[in-house]
Amino acid sequence: MARRKVKPKLDVDSRAEVGYADDEPSAFASMLGGLIEANIRTRPEKARDFESLVARVGIFVTDIHEGVTLDFKGGNLVVHNGLKPRRTLTIRTDAETVMSLSNLKIGPFGLPVYYDEVGRGVATKLLRGKLKIDGLLTNVMTLNTVTRIFSVQ
Amino acid sequence: MAVKAFSNEWAKEFKDEVNRSSVYKTAAKGWKWTVGLVVEAEPDKHFPEAKGIVMDLFDGEARDVTVGPASEAQKCDFVITAPYSRWKEVATKQLDATRGMLQGKLKLKGDLPTIVRYTKASQEMTECTTRVPVEWPDEK
Repeated sequence: MARRKVKPKLDVDSRAEVGYADDEPSAFASMLGGLIEANIRTRPEKARDFESLVARVGIFVTDIHEGVTLDFKGGNLVVHNGLKPRRTLTIRTDAETVMSLSNLKIGPFGLPVYYDEVGRGVATKLLRGKLKIDGLLTNVMTLNTVTRIFSVQ
Repeated sequence: MAVKAFSNEWAKEFKDEVNRSSVYKTAAKGWKWTVGLVVEAEPDKHFPEAKGIVMDLFDGEARDVTVGPASEAQKCDFVITAPYSRWKEVATKQLDATRGMLQGKLKLKGDLPTIVRYTKASQEMTECTTRVPVEWPDEK
C-alpha cells in the first residue's frame, strides 16, 4: 500500500507525528488525524500519552459505514482508511457518539469521567449496545489512553 | 412566510431563530469565533453565484448574520463549505451536519478541537436552520 510521507510536526518541542497511509485520506481519517494532531501539539499531557502508546485502534462509524484504523507507534501515528487487521481495540458506534467520545472529560488519575452528562450518555450507549468496543476487557488501560489523546476536554 | 434561501431576509430569520434557542445559548457559552458558511454555486439548480454567510457568534448569542460574497465568509475563523444542494439537504433534515462533516460532504476549516468541543451548539444551530421556512430556487 502506498504510504504518504509523514507530515512534519509544527511544534519543535515534540517529536510527535501524524501521517496517513493512503494517498487520499477519507474525510473521517483526516478529521481524526487532525484532531489528534491538534491535541498533542497543544496539550503536553496528551503528547506524553501519545509518546507512550503502542496500539492499533479501529473506529467504525455505523451510520456512515466508514472506518479508520489509528496505528499508534509510540510517538507516531499512521491513520489508515478503513479497518485494518490486527487491531488492539475496535470501537463501533454512530457519528454522534464518536463526537461524545471526543468530548469525554478526563478526571482524577487520568480516567475518563462517566458521571457527567456526556459521560452518562456514552455509558448508556455502551450498556444498550449502541457503542461496541471489541477488545475492551483486556485493553482497558489502552482505551483510557486513547480516550485521553482523543478527548478535546 | 417563507424567505428566499440564503437571502438577507433568511439571514435575519436565522439569527432570530438562533437567539430564541435556549439550547444554543447554553451550549455555546464561551464561543467567541466567527463562522462562515460558503454556499457554492449550482447554476443548474438556479443558484448561479456562490454566497457567503458570515455569522458573528459570541457567548451563546448570534450578534449578526449577514449574506455577502463567498470571499467574506472565507475570512472567518471557522469556514464550512458545501454546494447549494448539500446545504439544502442540511436545512431540510436530509443530511445530518455531523455525519456530513465526517463524510466530507461539508468541508470544515478551522481548529478541530474547538469545533468538536462545541458539537452540541453546532447541532442546535443546524436545528435552527431547519426551523426557518425557505423558498428554494430549484423548487420554483
